[in-house]
This record gives sequence, structure tokens and C-alpha cells, in this order.
Amino acid sequence: MTKPFSSGRALRFLIALMTVLVAAPAFAAGNPEADELALSPEWKAPNQEEARQRAQEVVPLIEAVVDECQLCRQQRLRDVGLGVKDIVHSYFLLESPIIKKREDHYGPVRFMHTKHAAAIQDCAICHHARPADPSAKETVRCSACHQEAFRTDHPERLGLKAAYHQQCIQCHRDKAKGPVDCAGCHPKNVPDHKELVKLGANPEPWDVTEECLRCHAAAGEDMLATAHWLWKGHSAYTLNQQKKVIHGKGTTAINNF
Amino acid sequence: MKLTRRGFFKITGAAGAAATVSRAYAAKASPAPEDPFGCLVDLTRCIGCRKCEDACNRVNDLPPPARSFEDPTVLNRPRRPDEKAFTVVNRYFPGQRDASNQLVPTFVKIQCMHCQEPACASACIVGALTKKENGAVHYDVTRCIGCRYCMVACPFEIPAYEYHDPITPRVMKCTFCFERISEAGGLPGCAEICPTEAITFGRRKTLLAVAKKRIQDNPARYLQEIYGEKEVGGTSWMYITAVPFEKLGFIDVPDKPTPRLAETIQHSLFAYLWSPIVLYGLLGGIMWASRGNRPHPEDEEGDRR
Ligand code: SF4
Ligand code: SF4
Ligand code: SF4
Repeated sequence: MTKPFSSGRALRFLIALMTVLVAAPAFAAGNPEADELALSPEWKAPNQEEARQRAQEVVPLIEAVVDECQLCRQQRLRDVGLGVKDIVHSYFLLESPIIKKREDHYGPVRFMHTKHAAAIQDCAICHHARPADPSAKETVRCSACHQEAFRTDHPERLGLKAAYHQQCIQCHRDKAKGPVDCAGCHPKNVPDHKELVKLGANPEPWDVTEECLRCHAAAGEDMLATAHWLWKGHSAYTLNQQKKVIHGKGTTAINNF
Repeated sequence: MKLTRRGFFKITGAAGAAATVSRAYAAKASPAPEDPFGCLVDLTRCIGCRKCEDACNRVNDLPPPARSFEDPTVLNRPRRPDEKAFTVVNRYFPGQRDASNQLVPTFVKIQCMHCQEPACASACIVGALTKKENGAVHYDVTRCIGCRYCMVACPFEIPAYEYHDPITPRVMKCTFCFERISEAGGLPGCAEICPTEAITFGRRKTLLAVAKKRIQDNPARYLQEIYGEKEVGGTSWMYITAVPFEKLGFIDVPDKPTPRLAETIQHSLFAYLWSPIVLYGLLGGIMWASRGNRPHPEDEEGDRR
């Protein structure tokens, strides 16, 4: 039988949940790929300053590009022999004044050019068009074609911000690799919790939970509606969620924690 | 079908309209501007980040939301725009699955459509709502008398009312960022912040061409339909999609502008001001006619005698 909600049980459950959440990254650390993806916010590339300066440059807009299919583009890059070995800048900071002029709510994104190129092995995915001018370089930076959004002279062309987001998110989705959420790429301004959390000496576990709930009350409420607390049902986020689980702590089991 | 209050008004309105559709209104010149601005929402591009809601809240000085704009659980139930949020993003699971058998969501941003021939404006008896040359359907609070006819008339159920404010309640809806887009190079708050250009801002004619080109270039990705091209006579905000609109909560509206309908409700209301006279006359007549049937008190007395 489901017992009515008791805050003590909720707290204890939250503690258990937190323990799992805190422990999770430790497991992930054994996986080299997860290591690469989880860059700490403090991490700085050795060529950070150079990348920052490069990000400030705005190059003249390329008006016309060669009209060709992706296959032809790949073929051409192969013919001219361009590849990972030709990469000049291996690290970029995506922080163009073109974007900052409009909106500036997020920190810059760090883009590992060589790492991405080596993994994808296909320059044509990002460098998908060639400038029409025969004297121009074969591959150019994103902001050479994608600048301001909604230009009346090029209504079909994406602005720089959308070009980045569509390209990154689509590819990360297709390859099922890399972040697709905001904070996965953009450093987020999480306030230093050392200052915020107020706990006495030797706190009991539930004191800690209570302290968390002081600010994150909504998160606590939400948890009470999830399968983690109810132990049944339907979650849009779990695999095969269309099959409702009817047995569990929230329904048939007697021991309800 | 569940009959909502709004639905009830619509039905009664339609009944009144059917009785009085007149040629004069059909012949009236269309108020639609020649070359308005618009927005094209590409549902295949929207990632459901709700940054547009956030930006809209900021540029319109709306009250802070009950839950943070970064809280994804808000998407768990469908919402409508209201007096505190001019635009909302809803999530649908129309049934497709990805490679790992997960349901693929489609996100839909909704706000006022800024109709070319807005029903809300025709319904407004004091001209507080007007279609501007730049495309915005603009609300002038100083003219509004709070009758809320616009809320009944709008086919998309958009305008909301500040019921909580007893002194100076306003009708609230997306402004199309009228002041911002009136300036050179100005953009609506939502279109400016959208990270993926799921919202494309521009002249309506240009956007229609862009939409058609996107559909033509990628027929596998899009359905051959632009919601808002013809709906209710055309709207400034338009949508293209990979999933049938009816699976995404879009309201099925006729291609003909509904203003004529709303206008007819208005005009018939006033035209029928003579109706109480008829009604009371009729009632009076009935009373007079039935007067003879009832036994007269004096007669009763006489009977008893
Ligand atoms: S959507 Fe509704 S409120 Fe907006 S312009 Fe059209 S009729 Fe008016
Ligand atoms: S156009 Fe302006 S008012 Fe309308 S939804 Fe966008 S930001 Fe809000
Ligand atoms: S900001 Fe753009 S991508 Fe994000 S929810 Fe709004 S329309 Fe969709």
C-alpha cells in the first residue's frame, strides 16, 4: 500500500538519490571519452589568448559560393588533397562580435578544431561550400559566409549564431555524441555554493537535504512526481516508456521505504 | 465535443452571423497592409530551449515566471499564452522514434499570429486593436473599454485579460515587439535570441518565398504546407513543419478571414437593438390575450354568492 507522503521519507530518498548523482561522475571517469567531453570550466587552452584575439576578427562577407552537392564538395576536397594535416588553428573560441552585438547571455564556446576533424574525417560536413571567387581559399571560417541573421540581401542564409547551433546540435544528434543542451557547450554561471550553503558542524544527512531544498524547493517537488519517488509509470525520458510499469513501490509493493 | 465558454460564444456568434451576412461587408476593402513584416517559425529547427519565452518576458517587462525558463519540466504539460506570457513553447510527441527507439519531440512556439485581417480588431468597437502597416496587430490600452470582444473573436484564442487587476486591467497578447521592429534593423525579442533561427524575421512576402524554397529543397524534411499563408486570410506569423499540424495542437481555421464574422456579430448586436421592443411588445400581447382566460376575482366572488 502506498503510504501518504512523509517529508522524512522524501528527505531520506533525496539523500540516496544525491549520493547516486554525486557518485555517477566518478564511474564515468573511467571512460576516456567521457573524460574528454567533461572539460572543467576552469580549463584553459595553452593558446587561449591567441584564440580570443582571433575570435574578435570580422572578415568581409563572401557573397557567392559554388553551387554543388555535398558529394561533389567531398570529391573536390579529396582532389585538392585537403585534410586534417592542413589544419592551421587547432583551437577556436567561438565568441564573435557579430553574435555579441545582438545577445550576450552565454560565455564563449571552446571548439577543438583538430579533435573534431580527426573524429569526423570529412571536412565537407562543416566547410560545406566553396567561395565562388577562384582566387579565394578552398575552406574559409564559418563567419566568412554566416554573419548577421535575417539579411535582406541573403534571406535564405543563416546568421552566425544559428549556423553554429544548427551545425553542432544536428551533428551531435546524428552521431549520438557530444552535448545537445545549452550548458554542455556554454560555461554556465553557477554561483559558488561554498558561499551559499550554510550547514552546522557534523550535519546529519537530512540536514544536508533540507539545506538543498531551501533554495531548490521546486526540484524537490518535481522529484516527488518522478519514477524515482513513485517507482511506477511513465516517463517520457526513459527507454520504451510506452510500456507502463504497474508493479513497484508506488503500487503493489508493501515496503515503501 | 466539450463546449467551452469561448466555443459557446463562437457558436452563438456564428448563428447570428449566418442570419445577417450582408453584401456590404463582403465588398469592404481589406485592411491588410501590402508589405508587412512577419516571422516564419520552422518547427524542424526548434530545439525547445524556451529562450524565446525568456526574451519575450524581458523585452515586455512581464512578471517573473513561477518556474525558471531553464526548467524543462514546464514542458510536461501543454500551455497557452496568457497575460503573463505572450508566447509559450509546447512539446509534442507525434510518434516518430529515433535510432535508440526514443520518442522524438516536436516543439511548437505559439503567440499571436498577427493576422492580415485580424478578427480581434474587427470585433473591437472602440478601435483599441489595429493592424499596423509593419504587420503588428497593435493594442492601445487608452482606448480599451475592457469588453473583451477580442477574446471571443480571435480564432486562435490568443488575447488574455488581466483579471487579477481590478483597477487597470489590460488585454494582453504578443505585441510583435511593435516598438522594436518599427526601428531600422530592429528585431522581435524572440527572433533575435533564438539560437537556431527557428524564427526567421523579415518581410512576409520574402518569408513565403524562403518557406517555399526550404520545402522545395528538402521535400523529405517538410510537409508541403505553410500554416498562415492562407489561414484566416493570411497571417504575419507562419509555420512550416515535418509533422502534420493537427498533431501539434494547431487550430483548424478556415481560409476566409473571420473578421467579417466578428463584424457581423457586432453589427447585428447593434442592428437588433430594436429587438427588446418587439420582445416586450410580444410579451405584452400574450398577457393581454390571456387576460380573458383567467377567472376574474370579482367573478369568483360573484360565484360564491
Ligand atoms: S491571432 Fe487573434 S489576437 Fe492575434 S491578430 Fe489574429 S485575431 Fe488578433
Ligand atoms: S514578437 Fe515580441 S511580444 Fe511577440 S512573442 Fe516575440 S518577443 Fe514576445
Ligand atoms: S528560442 Fe527558438 S529554438 Fe528555442 S524554443 Fe524558442 S523558437 Fe525554439
